[in-house]
Amino acid sequence: MYKPDVDSIFTVAMLSFVLILTGVFIYGFTAWNVVISLTTWTGITPTYDMKGFQMYLALFSDPVFLESFLNNVILIGLFISGSILIGLFLAILLDQVKRGAGFLRNCFVLPFTLSYVVTGTLWAWMYTPNEGVFDNILGVLGLNFLKTGWIANPDISIYCVILAMIWQFSGYIMIILLAGIKSIPFSQVAAARVDGVGEFSLYRHIIIPQIKGPIFVAFAILFAFGIKTFALVWTLTGGGPGISSYILSLDMYETSFSSLKFASGAAIATIMIIVVLAVIVPYLYITREK
Amino acid sequence: MELSKLLVFINKMELSKLLVSIIIIVFLILNFLPIWAAITTSLKSSLDVSRTSPLIPSSLYFSNFVEAWSRLSRPMLNSLTFTSFATLFSVILGSISGYLLTKIKFRWSNQVFIFILFGMYLPYQAILIPLVQLMAKLGLYNTIPGLILTHTVYGIPICTLLFRNFYGFIPNSLMSAAKIDGAGTWRTYIEVVLPLSIIPLVVTAVYQFTRIWNDYLFGVVLTLGENTMPATVALVNLKGSFTADYGLQMAGGLLITLPILILYIFLGRYLIRGYMQGAMH
Repeated sequence: MYKPDVDSIFTVAMLSFVLILTGVFIYGFTAWNVVISLTTWTGITPTYDMKGFQMYLALFSDPVFLESFLNNVILIGLFISGSILIGLFLAILLDQVKRGAGFLRNCFVLPFTLSYVVTGTLWAWMYTPNEGVFDNILGVLGLNFLKTGWIANPDISIYCVILAMIWQFSGYIMIILLAGIKSIPFSQVAAARVDGVGEFSLYRHIIIPQIKGPIFVAFAILFAFGIKTFALVWTLTGGGPGISSYILSLDMYETSFSSLKFASGAAIATIMIIVVLAVIVPYLYITREK
Repeated sequence: MELSKLLVFINKMELSKLLVSIIIIVFLILNFLPIWAAITTSLKSSLDVSRTSPLIPSSLYFSNFVEAWSRLSRPMLNSLTFTSFATLFSVILGSISGYLLTKIKFRWSNQVFIFILFGMYLPYQAILIPLVQLMAKLGLYNTIPGLILTHTVYGIPICTLLFRNFYGFIPNSLMSAAKIDGAGTWRTYIEVVLPLSIIPLVVTAVYQFTRIWNDYLFGVVLTLGENTMPATVALVNLKGSFTADYGLQMAGGLLITLPILILYIFLGRYLIRGYMQGAMH
């Protein structure tokens, strides 16, 4: 007869413990959130009266939600492309450096170690009209006509947010892509150089095509972050002026924890998770055996 | 090669090197500009902030730091407490599940790993309302243990990933050798695997400490007052109550960054390893 020993009992117990914790806190809560989104729960006390997709329908005629959604699309598009372009450029630059590359790498990764609330605080000062850093530099250079109000200007506040995010992330993307560049066999690069291939076309035709994998990874990470990013935007602009830099995470937070419309907030959160699933599930599927 | 041609070649090389250096310096300036401006501004009185350039240090005025410290010291102590415990717990759980999922192959181990891994990509907004509800029911809302539990659980995916990546490099022959010597799963873990795990333990601990210390979202929805609130939440409150006092805000921002900066200066290469490993699976 099979008699389980203490060893396997402990193994099963530990695995179950981890699985139950993550199962409840990740999957259980997500499911619970979907259930809440189908109710009309408003106020502190939960009410679970199922009303179907009422909250979702209301969102699609809610101007704050629509503005947030549009801003999120702009944010994700520019944040991903900006971070990857600058990260790639920095990676290529650092690939050229022979001495001090490690130190430079640490310098460029430093912004990524900051809390998003610190980044938001620092950049709020960069963007402060008149007294702030950018306007001061523009004043010294005699470019006063370029003082556009930055985060106080509803037409450009969302782009100011994106720039601060790119500042924080491009060093991180740089190390991912630099690791990819360094893993290309040196013989290939040397062979191309012997053949007289110039530096530009070396990167264009030999190196960049071989780091498609790391670029893909960077894309997935930036996408997931672009959806859930909250603290940086919240601290930098608070979504304003007006709702000009509102995104889904801010709308979800305000709707749930300030207006106490928990059902509506849960519906926004469900839409956010659907957007993430639509990209991350194919990503995990494609990269599963690597 | 003729000498003149060689000289032209060398010149060309030098020129491109010079260009690379100039571009790197420009990027370094852009990289450090916000931090530099924060340092200079934090050392100015509010009068100096409004009448001098934010790029040029004009005084060594420490009142901002004194004021920021008086408002942030308690929240920083809170952060230190829950960050340390949550780091410890999530690293232990990550190491164990990373070990079990790599070295004790069972039928569903890959599926279990993906099940856990998805937590890394989860937008936390999707669990926020249920999380607050459960914490309130457990009596853990607005408590340090509540923050420890939350950060521990949501740290399990990344910790498991970091340890699994590392344990993949421990040769299986070492495992079978331990088995032949009569060591079971857990004796092998404690006597063979853990002594080899010092680097991943440091990498994961530094990664988690930074991540948890820097968090704002969980702190802002799970805490209410000064006795539990994290430093990040206190910084945002500081910003809200003194809208125009940029010297104080910058001092506060730098103050709560200091522990992470010290960690980065001494253990930066481990943190960077964590960042790179965390991107790979």
